[in-house]
Amino acid sequence: MLEQQLINGLTLGLIYALIAVGYTMVYGVIQLINFAHGEIYMLGAFFCVTFITAAGLPFYAAIFMAILCCILCGILLDIIAYRPLRKAPRLAALITAIGMSIFLQNVALMIWGSRSRPFPQTALPPFFREKALVLGDVSLTWLQLFIFAVAIIMMIGLYLTINKTRIGTAMRALAQNKTAASLMGINVNYVISFTFALGSAMGAVAGILVSVYYNTLYPTMGYTAGVKAFAAAVLGGIGSVPGAMVGGVVLGVAETLGAGYVSSLYRDGVAYAVMIAVIIFRPSGILGKSVIDKA
Amino acid sequence: MNIGKSLILLVVAAVLTYPLVPQSSDYIIHVMTLAMVYMILAMGLNIVPGFCGLLDLGYVGFYGIGAYTAGLLTIHYGLSFWVIVPLAALNGALWGALLGAPTLRLTGDYFAIVTFGFSELVVLFLTNEIWLTRGPLGLPGIQPITLNLTWLNDAWYFEFYDKTPNFYVVALLVGLVFFIMRRMEDSRLGRAWYAIREDPLAAASCGVNILNYKVIAFAISAAIGAVGGAFYARWSMFLSPDMFKFWESFLVLCMVVLGGLGNIKGALLGAVILVSLGEVLREVLSSLGLPPESRFMAYGLIMVLIMRFKPAGFFPAIASSGRSNPLLIDLQKRLAARNVPKEETRDAAT
Repeated sequence: MLEQQLINGLTLGLIYALIAVGYTMVYGVIQLINFAHGEIYMLGAFFCVTFITAAGLPFYAAIFMAILCCILCGILLDIIAYRPLRKAPRLAALITAIGMSIFLQNVALMIWGSRSRPFPQTALPPFFREKALVLGDVSLTWLQLFIFAVAIIMMIGLYLTINKTRIGTAMRALAQNKTAASLMGINVNYVISFTFALGSAMGAVAGILVSVYYNTLYPTMGYTAGVKAFAAAVLGGIGSVPGAMVGGVVLGVAETLGAGYVSSLYRDGVAYAVMIAVIIFRPSGILGKSVIDKA
Repeated sequence: MNIGKSLILLVVAAVLTYPLVPQSSDYIIHVMTLAMVYMILAMGLNIVPGFCGLLDLGYVGFYGIGAYTAGLLTIHYGLSFWVIVPLAALNGALWGALLGAPTLRLTGDYFAIVTFGFSELVVLFLTNEIWLTRGPLGLPGIQPITLNLTWLNDAWYFEFYDKTPNFYVVALLVGLVFFIMRRMEDSRLGRAWYAIREDPLAAASCGVNILNYKVIAFAISAAIGAVGGAFYARWSMFLSPDMFKFWESFLVLCMVVLGGLGNIKGALLGAVILVSLGEVLREVLSSLGLPPESRFMAYGLIMVLIMRFKPAGFFPAIASSGRSNPLLIDLQKRLAARNVPKEETRDAAT
């Protein structure tokens, strides 16, 4: 039973990690808690389903199109909402982020309705629900394997982008010192938009994977998932990309174990409790640098 | 007394006498009562981000604690409203201090996130501890506010089922909180808070115990939120965990920011504007054939636009307090008496 819980928790945790990197990258670059990131995640799931049902695209093509749409949304979000506020008080940017989150969530409510809907099963590859591995009482479906593979490939891709490419170097430079970076000839706004694009792509994938895994999607799904992913980012040390990955996995496992062995009613509470405890006792997180007074 | 002040007094007097007018509409009294509940909350929240410069995203948690404290004490022990208000305030202050003491060392976003997590935990607690709060079913059947004056006259026992007496009770509370806030603002406490907001390091080097003053601020703010909740419980006579979601915190924060952080009158005005905006939007949007949820969409958009064009709110406190500083006014008068041109006066003032 424990092994099964661990596998389920790992699946959930990898998805949280995908969302959490979006928070942590944006925070690293512009020190803003992008509350609307959870909504990008929700939009990813809805775009994907809409492309499948309305446009009749196959599953993988729909995923691709949904990612493109979410990247566009993320960049627009940055340009329209956050860019004019770069020099404004931090509180103004944060309120804008929450306002955009509420706005996007209610736009989705108006377009797709408030009822939760299932993911169109016929579009999925049929082997997803079959068991890939059975070891004793532990079983692993192909879908879970697919989630593992996608999440890990995306994480490696992200790691390489940040550490080995020119734009990744620019992102890291921006995170260290924005003024110095712009003096070195880095186009600050372009790099920030790129950061939003990367984060939105990861968020969109996470949204699609969750809606396939739980076979349900609804317009308010971004709120809870966003908060938990943010908790994961804090747990790993906000601003640190590897930290967000570790934090996501730890939080996913902790949540599944907490729901399984303590109380399923407080499933969501685990994330908040972990977040508060981490902030009080080790604000820099598992892998973060000590940035407590910079905030 | 100048014209502006007498105008404000006139408006306040007009609002206060409105329920006595025979043709007054119950709906408008209801909206005004609601606006005054939010006024209490906005004034309470204003202490933390406005006076101390710390972002609090979980204010509704204390509102919820106050409301459920009042509701449960009424249902199980039948206590009078006038006893419950201080008890609820104490309970709010207790939780404020408990949350604040370990977390107020944190700055900026970290503190904001802790408060956010706290309010989510409060909602989860209210939803899941069914033995105490009946969970998602809510807490119905809370007695309305009563006023027992039988010690003066045997017939003077009142139950405030009607809208009008509730209106006056909350008006009394608003007045009380406003008075307390104004006194605190100009006291040693208020000056310490301002010092912390402007420069914690300088404040600490002047002997201000930062952590203590922050915890006091947080506890007082929580107590005022709980008072708002206690009134709300007895007024609406029904509570449910859904009423204390994050959205409410955001709304109250918007009121404070809209009025200008740190400005008490601004917070009052922000509450009036946003509550009436909500009512207007409800009417306008439904007449346009849009679903009621679109109200929140409009709210979100309006907040984004206000932050875009007026990030400091409509009545920024710092500018006005600078200009109304008696020392500066005195200096300007003396310079004007010596016929110094205006430009230099401004330089001297800055």
